[in-house]
Amino acid sequence: MATYGWAGTILRIDLTTGEITKESSEKYQKYIGGMGIGYRIIYEDVPLNTHPFDEAAEIVAAVGPLTGSSVPCSGRMNFSFLSPFSRGNSIVDAHMGGHLGSRFKFAGYDAVVVRGKASKPVYIRINDDEVAIEDASHIWGKGTFDSNRILTEELGRDYQTASIGPAGENLVNYSTINTSVGNSGGGGIGAVMGSKNLKAFAVRGTGSVKIADPLKVKELNEYMLTELIGGNNNHNVPAVPQSWAEYSAVGGKNRWSGAPGRAWLKAEGGPIDAGEQPHYDMNKIAYRCNKGVFDFGEVSLNYTIKVGGCSSCPIRCYTQYDMDPLADYDLPTHVSNTCVPVIYGTKYYTNGIKDFKYKGDASVIINGANARAMDDLGVWCNYSNLNRDFNWLVTSGKIHEVIPKEEVDSLPWEWEKNGDPRWVVEILRRVAYKEGELGIGLGLGTYEMVKRWNLGKEFYDREDPNNQNITYNGYPKHHANEDTGQVGLLFNLMYNRDCMTHHLVNVTGSGAPYEVSKATMEGFFGPGCYDKKKAFTPMNRNKAKLAKWAFNGKQFHDSATLCNWMWPMTQSPSKERNYVGDLELEAKFMSAVTGKNYTQADVEFDSERISHLLRGMTAISFYDNLGETNLRLTHDAIPDWIFDGEADFEAFEEGATKMDRDDMNLALDMFYEELGWDKETGIPTRATLEKFDLGDLADDLEKRGILPR
Amino acid sequence: MSNEIKEKVGFLDRQMTRRQFLKISGKSLVGLTVAGSMLSLFGCTQEDIDKGLVTTWAMPQGLLVVNEAKCTGCERCELNCTLVNDGVVSTHIARLKLSRNLHIYGDKGMYNNDFTYFPDTCRQCEDPWCGNACPVQAIVTDDRGIRVVDEAKCVGCGACVEACPWHMPTVNPETKKSSKCIACGACVEGCPSGALEIVPWDAVTAAAQDIV
Repeated sequence: MATYGWAGTILRIDLTTGEITKESSEKYQKYIGGMGIGYRIIYEDVPLNTHPFDEAAEIVAAVGPLTGSSVPCSGRMNFSFLSPFSRGNSIVDAHMGGHLGSRFKFAGYDAVVVRGKASKPVYIRINDDEVAIEDASHIWGKGTFDSNRILTEELGRDYQTASIGPAGENLVNYSTINTSVGNSGGGGIGAVMGSKNLKAFAVRGTGSVKIADPLKVKELNEYMLTELIGGNNNHNVPAVPQSWAEYSAVGGKNRWSGAPGRAWLKAEGGPIDAGEQPHYDMNKIAYRCNKGVFDFGEVSLNYTIKVGGCSSCPIRCYTQYDMDPLADYDLPTHVSNTCVPVIYGTKYYTNGIKDFKYKGDASVIINGANARAMDDLGVWCNYSNLNRDFNWLVTSGKIHEVIPKEEVDSLPWEWEKNGDPRWVVEILRRVAYKEGELGIGLGLGTYEMVKRWNLGKEFYDREDPNNQNITYNGYPKHHANEDTGQVGLLFNLMYNRDCMTHHLVNVTGSGAPYEVSKATMEGFFGPGCYDKKKAFTPMNRNKAKLAKWAFNGKQFHDSATLCNWMWPMTQSPSKERNYVGDLELEAKFMSAVTGKNYTQADVEFDSERISHLLRGMTAISFYDNLGETNLRLTHDAIPDWIFDGEADFEAFEEGATKMDRDDMNLALDMFYEELGWDKETGIPTRATLEKFDLGDLADDLEKRGILPR
Repeated sequence: MSNEIKEKVGFLDRQMTRRQFLKISGKSLVGLTVAGSMLSLFGCTQEDIDKGLVTTWAMPQGLLVVNEAKCTGCERCELNCTLVNDGVVSTHIARLKLSRNLHIYGDKGMYNNDFTYFPDTCRQCEDPWCGNACPVQAIVTDDRGIRVVDEAKCVGCGACVEACPWHMPTVNPETKKSSKCIACGACVEGCPSGALEIVPWDAVTAAAQDIV
C-alpha cells in the first residue's frame, strides 16, 4: 500500500522461472530506500560468495522516499549488486540520473529485485501494475541509443528506458546501463544484467508520489532554491563577478560557470546568453552551470545547444552539444554528458591532439567522441582508470610486453598520431567486444588486469599521474586527500568502488574564500576540522567526526534518493546567511514528504545503519571469497604513493597533498572508534550492530569467526 | 487626468491588448515582426520568432511565452503543477506536458539526435474543445474566463482528453477525475530556465504602445 513518500511495494522478478511477485516495502523503510533497501535485500537473499554473474545473484534497482517528490535534485536511482570488477566481489552500486527513477515511483515501486537468468534476451516492461518480461532479441547487439529509441518507438513516448550496450552483453566488467540522455550507472552493472540476458528496463508510471504536507514541501523547495542552492556541485559563488554577488571564485573558475557573455551559441533560433543569476531568482538557476565552459573553456560554447540533466534538478550539469566536426569522421555529433567520459578522452592520445574548427577545441571534440562512444557501447571507465591504464600501457612501453605484436600492429596508430576521433572509438570498441588481449585486459578492470598481466603490487604503489588507485582493490580515488587530507582519504577507503562522495569537494571547490568556508565548516563540526588545501594539519577528533558525517551522508543520498553532487546544502550563496547552508534540510524534507517526524539525527542514524551493513557485508565477502579476516589491513590498505610520493615535500608541509603513515593510522583508529568498529580489524562490533538492529549480521560475522571480540 | 480615469483607461488598454493577443493566442508568432521592446519582454530574438520557437498564450494574468530553445527538460513545471494542484507529484497528470516530448515528438526529441523538447501548454481556447465535448458540462468558465473542471460533476469519461486536439487534459487514474490547466502559474514560477514565462498585461500593453 502506498504511504507518503514511499510507493509501498517491492517488485520481484525471477528471469529463470518468469515468476513476478509483489510485496510490501514497509519492513525495509528503516533502510530508507535505494542503496539501503538494495543492500538489505541482497544481504537477506544472496550468499556473498555467489559469483556476480551467477543466476542466484540479484540486481536491486531502487529509489527512495524523496525520489520524484519534487524535492530539487531527487531524480537519481540506485542499482545494487555484487561487484564483478573489484577485489573481494562485494556489494557495490551503480548510481544513475535521468528520468527513469521517478517513473518507478509513479508506477508504484520502491524497488525492483531481479534474479535468475532468462533463456533468451529480454527486457523488463513495467506499465503501472502490469509487469512483463518481454523479448529483446531485436535490440540485443545494438548500442544503447538505438535500443532506447526503438523501445520508446514501440512502447510509446510515455515510457522511460535504460539499456545496456554491447559491453554489458559481452560480460565486460567495465560496463554500464544508460538512459537516452547520457545518464549512466557503472560498476559493472551492464555485465551483471548481461549475465541475466537482461537488456533493458522500460517503465511507464501514471500514478503519483504521495506527499504528507504539500504546502510545506513547496515552501521548502522555494527556500532551498532561493537561499541555499548554488551551482553544480553546489558551488556557492559564481565563477566570475556578477553585480549582485560579493564574491566570485578564487582563481576565476568553478562549476557556477554561467556568466553574462557566455551564450549557448548553437541554441535553436540563435545564441542564448546566460546573463546574471542572482541566487534569489528561481527562473535563472538553469544558467548557473555551464559544464562545457568549466571543462574546456569558452571555446565549448561554439558547440553548445543547451544544457540538460535529471528530472527535478534545476542545475543542468549536462552540456548538450552538436559537435559538427565529428560528422567528417562519420561519427554522431550530438553529445550530452557531464562526468569523466567527457573529460579524460584525451588520455588515449599519447602524442597530443589537434584543433578542429576553433582554437582550443581539440579537447572538446575528442571528448565528445569518447563520451558518445562510451555511452553507446555501454563501456564504463572506473572514474577514468580505463583511460589512465591505457595511457600508461602505451607511454610505459608495457603494451609491447603484454599485447602480441600482431595485435599492436593492427591498431590504427596513424589515427592516434593525427588526433583522429576514430582512434578512441576503436579502442572502446575493442573493449566492448573483448577483442584481442588489449580489449580483454582493459575491460576486466584494473584489479583483474593487474593479475592477468602480472603487474604486481608496484602497479598500485607507483607515483605516476596515471596511478590514482586509492586501495589495492582496483578503483581510484574520487576526491580524497588532495582535497581534505585524512578526511577525504578515509571515506575513499570505505566502498568497493570509487567512493563517489562529494560532501567535501563541494565545499573545497566552491570558490568561496577559504576563511568563509572554514567558518561554515567549523560552525558545524568544530575547530580544526577543515584544513586549507595543501596545508594539511595532523589528525584530530573533529576530522574523524567530519569524515563519518560525509560517509553516512553519502548513504542517505543514494537511498533517499538525492544527488550527492548537489546535496547536502552545506554552504549558501546568500550573504545574508553569511554563506552558511542548512544541514537539517534533509530531515525537514523527509518529514514533510513522509509525514514521519525526522530529526537530522534520525536521518543520520538510519544512514549509519546502511554504513554498517556495507561494512559487515564487505567483511563477509572478503572472508568468504579471499579468506581474509581483517579489513583494516586488506580492504582499507593504502598504496605507498599516498605516503611516499612528492619526494620534495614532507607531509603537512605547505604545498603537500601526501599523507603520513603514522598519522593515517591514527586517523583510521579515530574513524573506526566514531563508527563503533573494532580498531584492529575495522569490523563493526556486536554492540554497534545490535544498536542498529543488525544482530543477524553480527551472528553471521561470529559464525565466520570474524566478529571482533 | 484623475487617477480614477487613468486606472480606467489603463484597464481598457489591458483588455484591448489581451483581446488582440487572444486572436493570435496559441499560434506561433512566425511572420510577425515584433518590436524590440516586445522581444526584450519575451526574452527572445526575432530569429526565434521567425523559426517558430516562440509561442504565446493569452492568460488572465498576462501573456504566457513558451521558448523551446530554453527548455532544459528538468520536469520541474510538471512536478510543481501537480504538487500545487493535486497535493501529490506526478508527470502523467500534469496540466502541461513536457516529459512526453523529451524523447520523440515528430522528427525531434533526444532519440532523433535533437536536443529540442519543450512543454506543451493549454491553449486556453476561446471556444474550448474540451468543454464542448464534456457530456456532463463539468468544464465551466470561472470568473477569470478560464475553463476549469468541476470535480463534483466530472465522471472521468475522458471525452475532453479525446476532444482536445493536443490532448492536454488528463484523467487522473487515481481520482478518476479529469484535470486541465487552470492558469495558476505554478509551472512558470518554478521554471529554472525561463522557458516558461508570464509577461504581465501591463508590461505587454506598454510594449504594444511603443509599437504604435
